Amino acid sequence: MPIVTLLLLPFIGSLVTALLPTRARTVLAGFAGLISAAAAIWVLSLFPQVQNGGVITETIQWIPSLGLDLVFRIDGFAWMFGVLVTVIGALVCLYARYYMSPEDPVARFYAYFLAFMGAMLGVVFSGNLIQLVIFWELTSLISFLLIGYWYHRKDAQRGARMSLAVTGAGGLALLGGVIVLGHIVGSYELEAVLASGDLVREHALYPVALLLVLAGALTKSAQFPFHFWLPRAMAAPTPVSAYLHSATMVKAGVFLLGRLWPVMANTELWFWLVSTAGMTTLLIGAYIAMFQHDLKRVLAYSTVSHLGLITLLFGLNSQFAAVAGVFHIMNHATFKASLFMAAGVVDHETGTRDVRRLNGLFRFMPHTATLALVASAAMAGVPLLNGFLSKEMFFAETVFMSSYPWVEIALPVLATLAAIFAVVYSLRFGYDIFFGPPSTDLPRQPQEAPRWMRIPIEFLVIVCLIVGIVPGISIGPSLAAAALPVVGGELPEYSLVVWHGFTPPLIMSLVAIVGGVIGYFWLGKYQARGEFQNPVLVWRLNGRRLFERTLINATRLSRRALRLVSTRRLQPQMFAIVLVTVLLAALATSGAPFEWGDREQLPPSTAFLMFWIIGMVCAIGAGVMAKFHRLVAITLMGGAGLVTALTFARFSAPDLALTQLVVEVVTTILLLLGLRWLPKRLKSAAFPTRPRDRFRRGRDLVLAVLAGGGLSALSYAMLTRPAPYSISPFFLDHALPQGGGSNVINVILVDFRSFDTLGEITVLGAVALTIFALLRRFRPAAESIEPPKQQRYLAPDVVTDLVKPRTAEEAGRGYMLVPSVIARLLLPFAFLVAAHYFMRGHNEPGGGFVAGLIVAIAFLAQYIVSGTRWVEGRARLHPPRWIAVGLLLAVLTGLGAIAFGYPFLTTHTAHATLPLIGEVHLPSALFFDLGVFAVVVGATLLILIALAHQSIRAHRPPVRALMPPRKTESR
Amino acid sequence: MEVLLALVIGVFGGAGVWLVLRPRTFQVVMGLTLLSYAVNLFIFSVGGLFLDKPPLVTPGLPTDLEHYTDPLPQALVLTAIVIGFATTALFLVVLLASRGLSGTDHVDGARDES
Amino acid sequence: MDFMPHLVVVPVVLPLIAAALLILLGEKRRRARVLVNIGATLAGLLAALAILWQVDSGGEPAAIGVYLAANWEAPFGIVLVADRLSALMLVLAGIVGLFAAVYAEAAWARGGMYFHPLFQLQLMGLNGAFLTGDLFNLFVFFEVMLAASYGLQLHGSGWPRVRSGLHYIAVNLLASSLFLIGLAVLYGVMGTLSMADIAAKLASVPGSDRGMLHAGAAILAVAFLIKAAAWPLNAWLVPAYTAASAPVAALFAVMTKVGVYILVRLWTLLFSDGPSMNFGSDVLLYAGLATIAFGVLGLMATLRPGRIAGYSILVSSGTLLAALGMGNAAVTSAALFYMLSATMAVSVLFLFVELVGRIGKDGQPDLVGVDDEPSEDTNLDDEELPLVGQAFPISLALLGLGFIAAGLLVAGLPPFSGFIAKVSLLQAVLAIQPGDKASDVASQSAAFWIVGLVLFAGLATMVSLARTGIRHFWSTGGRLTSQVKIVEGASVLGLLFACALLTVFAEPVLRYTNAAAADLHAPQPYVNTVLATRPRPGPTRSVYVEEEAP
Repeated sequence: MPIVTLLLLPFIGSLVTALLPTRARTVLAGFAGLISAAAAIWVLSLFPQVQNGGVITETIQWIPSLGLDLVFRIDGFAWMFGVLVTVIGALVCLYARYYMSPEDPVARFYAYFLAFMGAMLGVVFSGNLIQLVIFWELTSLISFLLIGYWYHRKDAQRGARMSLAVTGAGGLALLGGVIVLGHIVGSYELEAVLASGDLVREHALYPVALLLVLAGALTKSAQFPFHFWLPRAMAAPTPVSAYLHSATMVKAGVFLLGRLWPVMANTELWFWLVSTAGMTTLLIGAYIAMFQHDLKRVLAYSTVSHLGLITLLFGLNSQFAAVAGVFHIMNHATFKASLFMAAGVVDHETGTRDVRRLNGLFRFMPHTATLALVASAAMAGVPLLNGFLSKEMFFAETVFMSSYPWVEIALPVLATLAAIFAVVYSLRFGYDIFFGPPSTDLPRQPQEAPRWMRIPIEFLVIVCLIVGIVPGISIGPSLAAAALPVVGGELPEYSLVVWHGFTPPLIMSLVAIVGGVIGYFWLGKYQARGEFQNPVLVWRLNGRRLFERTLINATRLSRRALRLVSTRRLQPQMFAIVLVTVLLAALATSGAPFEWGDREQLPPSTAFLMFWIIGMVCAIGAGVMAKFHRLVAITLMGGAGLVTALTFARFSAPDLALTQLVVEVVTTILLLLGLRWLPKRLKSAAFPTRPRDRFRRGRDLVLAVLAGGGLSALSYAMLTRPAPYSISPFFLDHALPQGGGSNVINVILVDFRSFDTLGEITVLGAVALTIFALLRRFRPAAESIEPPKQQRYLAPDVVTDLVKPRTAEEAGRGYMLVPSVIARLLLPFAFLVAAHYFMRGHNEPGGGFVAGLIVAIAFLAQYIVSGTRWVEGRARLHPPRWIAVGLLLAVLTGLGAIAFGYPFLTTHTAHATLPLIGEVHLPSALFFDLGVFAVVVGATLLILIALAHQSIRAHRPPVRALMPPRKTESR
Repeated sequence: MEVLLALVIGVFGGAGVWLVLRPRTFQVVMGLTLLSYAVNLFIFSVGGLFLDKPPLVTPGLPTDLEHYTDPLPQALVLTAIVIGFATTALFLVVLLASRGLSGTDHVDGARDES
Repeated sequence: MDFMPHLVVVPVVLPLIAAALLILLGEKRRRARVLVNIGATLAGLLAALAILWQVDSGGEPAAIGVYLAANWEAPFGIVLVADRLSALMLVLAGIVGLFAAVYAEAAWARGGMYFHPLFQLQLMGLNGAFLTGDLFNLFVFFEVMLAASYGLQLHGSGWPRVRSGLHYIAVNLLASSLFLIGLAVLYGVMGTLSMADIAAKLASVPGSDRGMLHAGAAILAVAFLIKAAAWPLNAWLVPAYTAASAPVAALFAVMTKVGVYILVRLWTLLFSDGPSMNFGSDVLLYAGLATIAFGVLGLMATLRPGRIAGYSILVSSGTLLAALGMGNAAVTSAALFYMLSATMAVSVLFLFVELVGRIGKDGQPDLVGVDDEPSEDTNLDDEELPLVGQAFPISLALLGLGFIAAGLLVAGLPPFSGFIAKVSLLQAVLAIQPGDKASDVASQSAAFWIVGLVLFAGLATMVSLARTGIRHFWSTGGRLTSQVKIVEGASVLGLLFACALLTVFAEPVLRYTNAAAADLHAPQPYVNTVLATRPRPGPTRSVYVEEEAP
């Protein structure tokens, strides 16, 4: 069966467990256990294929163009890890059945657990580095979920987040490193990468790759200075710690070191970086472990230190050391897993994990105690146990390695020191809690753990013993198979026997054990007096606090920085936009020549000179007046608009002039309607202008002048260059013959570029709908609901001959009677004019748009003079329908062409003979223009009516106050 | 003549920019309108200035840019005018809504801050 | 080139008709409106897929579909051009639009008037902008898109929306003015508006006009950079998008990409070679880097999921701009894939933000049974609190998993498409040799900047999302359940599923983007096809078809 099924097995299992009843712990444990056991057997059965250098490879095409295929590659090293992952996984499943309480929703636990097992197998079986990174990050993610299993607890949340942040960051670094590596090698295939060690080590980017990869490995394996997340992760349920934090996940880092050892090791840089990190961690971890009071903390820090040992071994650039490292990976996994489980038993049976409170448990739980003692002895490196062997190899390496003289001195000494520490904390774990006077104040009466809860521990401890006593036959072959791929090529000389004779390493071991015992009692004496509760000297450099602080500071700093480079106010944004535009335009021009053209210019005419001066004055005046004298500003704006229109008219653009004029009217009405709702703003009421404001205004003024100047420069350059090549003659040529109209502008709008016009009326419609929808919800500000006093005022002495005074409901029947009558009379004429402009549009200035606006204005006149109620009482115009119908008409006209087999919007001209009028030609453009007309009428009316309705609604009291919680929002 | 028109465009644009940078919503809407005038004139001016050569085809006249002004910019301006009108209307209404909700006519809806 | 005759125009006309019908249907007949809205969106998506298939079936280079609206050939009339890139964007807009539309039916569609027609018009604007081959027509479709987007952004009204909407509109109106100015300058210099024609004539522009030309291009670019939310022109985005209703924000995620799309289209068309080669590519590159950095700052600063989504939009825009600035086909291809993934990811995140927001805010952690006597077989920690987990309600559990998936997608973490996109991008960026780019940027160092920033952005996203996830899912003690309507769940799952497909079938998609990028960086076929397309001869057209033929 293919390897991928082996990999999928746990994932499928995880899905199934997620669906099983959430508290059926026996069923769940059984199922999960079976899955892992099956996987374990499968992996074990692969041994013949991988021993002495065999490699199982299996490839599934995924993304060849990225060099990213799913490659599953099992060699001895991967196999060894596979065994650890699956076997210990099966044991932990069994253990967790008894550890988790009946109320626990263990389905989630086992689902995560199996998923993690799958991810871990994925990491170790990956034959493609990118794929390895994928599973790597998966392990980080799932461990996040597992640590947060008791998610309601703050410490769980903290620990989970911390481990995710640290290991996830490492993962991203690793990704970078892998990509660089792939860039160097030209492939992500492990096969290829392993083959090209020299190429990598010579390459200029080697340091980059190495640093990034190490960042990944060291974070994952909790190496100094990233060690702090592991103790925090102890908030996880003990089975999780036993699995992730002893045997599997934290081993992923050292796995990577071993995996890439043939490629990246054997350089100075590697030696210094890796071995320094390893040595520091080895010492600091062991040192801090001595002072812990929480059982799991002791184990956590000892794990840190043991991982440091493994890292150090890989860092020494010696094949022998590498083998020792591989060996220690196995040993540590076995005894540390069993120790965690034992700690779990103690915690579970006594209700506390505090070393200071736990004493003399031996008599209550002799069985567990024995197991724990043996395991901790293995951890201490006592002879006849597996821990001893790998430690011996380590010592031997430190003694016999050849390097800088001071290294040759320092290394053995430090190694022995670390070993002494190890003995001390092992004693604290084992001796402290099981011997001495039995403790009385325990939360629960301690007792022996259930039979089946001990089985996993027993199994592991027995392994420790067997390996410790008869290493050669028990572990020898596996070790050889596992170490071979790491050292690459052939294995170095090493002998797996307990007794090498009376060698320096043995002496070091004895020194360590003796010194450790002494140290333990010495330390115990002080701690009994309440001294040395915390690790002396180093307890200040608290990685966790450092991490938390960095996070908080990062947030605070980025907030501050954000305030500098961003804003929630409009003015700076507008300023930035204009500024950037000016700068970029200047920058772009600076590169290439920018010069005036020399087209002969029109003779200046004094009349127009006057006009334009007036226009400029209007513009500037509007700019000045807009703050305090809005009405004046609007008037001046109208003046500017008028000048624009006249300019168009003068320089042979009659259509523009006409349109500009009509639009001007509508816009002005609009602004006037809007004016009604704006707050009073009198100069006297203005705030005193602070220097800050004065500065800002000066700044804006400068920018405005610059922008304006730039614009004039551009337009002058445009105006003076010789008439450019243009596509326009085409329009002039074809307007009449093919477009069927002599007004080229109109033909362009309804024929050549009718697609634009279609979009344009769509915009009009969309805007109208938006405005309507918005104003439906809109309530005017409270203070402007009252009708203005000019309207309310009626002099007491006035004798009016009006039918109704100003208080009239409908102004049309009141004081506005006369104008309203005139307006009504004007209505039909307006229609006539509109029709005229519409019909002639194709040949003379005019067209659907202008006609539409004229009609709209005519209706508006009614609204204005006769009042909203009066008009709507008589004529129900449904502006939205006008819009919809207009759009449909335009589109259908366009689609008509398709019916004839022509592209969308192709125009056709039908010739018809009508009675009286005679022969007329009806271009389809006419219907299109009709659509335009309808939309314009509809949209304009909708907008202005929506505004007009405010005044009606204003008289009704607002349904509910819409004043927002401004403070919270604006900050 | 050209230099004058360029000046007009510049002044309209400058005044528009100045207003757009102001803190009061009404000033901004005024500014946008002025800016659209400037832009329309600018687009129009790209075609060059011609006296009484409207793009109305009269039979007999050769159809080239000597006898007619460039019609395309005018068509563009026409579309631009319409769209400008629509968006100005929209902005006006939104500023009214903002004024109604926040009780002030400041662009950020904050009471103080000139 | 056997193009279904009128297929290309469908994505534009269909939404318009739908919108008109929806207006006519009025506020009554809700069922009918829903049908029309979703039906039209679905049909649009299908049309987009058909176009994509047709374009891609052409092999190398793509079978570019040119449609002469009103039957006038380029450069005189307006042409719609469907090449690989446009087709891709159409499909993207279609997918996101469809799921946003479905999601909206849960509640938001009834949150105010005219939601449906505006939604359709927005789609019309997007599709038109992706298809048109004419500069001014592009402006028109931009305005259609924006006009609709104003309505959608303000949909539901309320102070935050109006406040941010005011800013959003003001900024975009200014941008539109810039667009017009730049466009006018280009017309003044080139005397034409068709993109293809401009590209063809660019070489023949006299040196004395080049200054004008560049000025116009720069002004135009600013307008697009504003739409693409490049720093420092992007302060409007996060407030506006976070204030908008969830489905609208999801759709807006696509709208931001329009700016990027236009920059890609025009820049490759005009400046990928010829006299002004690589004009402004440095500006794009640095603007992109600055934008990523800005987005990262925002991600680190904020705790609100909505803002996280907003800032990750900025990160993706920045990445795309920087990638474009590298001016290298391989990078562009990777960037296109990245755009697909990132856009869908952010959209789904926006939808999740609302769903997640419904479960409790940062509730206090409840330590169960602090005082009650622990039963037998309970185990305690060192504070003697019972170590008993709490079950998640199933809906909440699913929501959580979905949220995690969305987070992974946005952060570009494995195993989803975001990761693949990131890998391909970094790979391509690193592969650039110093000589590859003719501009004076030391592209190697720029490459490392991109790599670093992209990776760091992933980290920042992950951390801040984990933070909010913990606040919303864990700190509430799991007591609060959240009610998720079927349609909401369906649309969210649909989008996630689309991303999953993108992951599994990454290879074909990448092959497609490679081809698209190749087409982009060798634009000559595009230009030729567009300019060579002749209108369908007919009664009124037959006259000049010969005389115009070169």
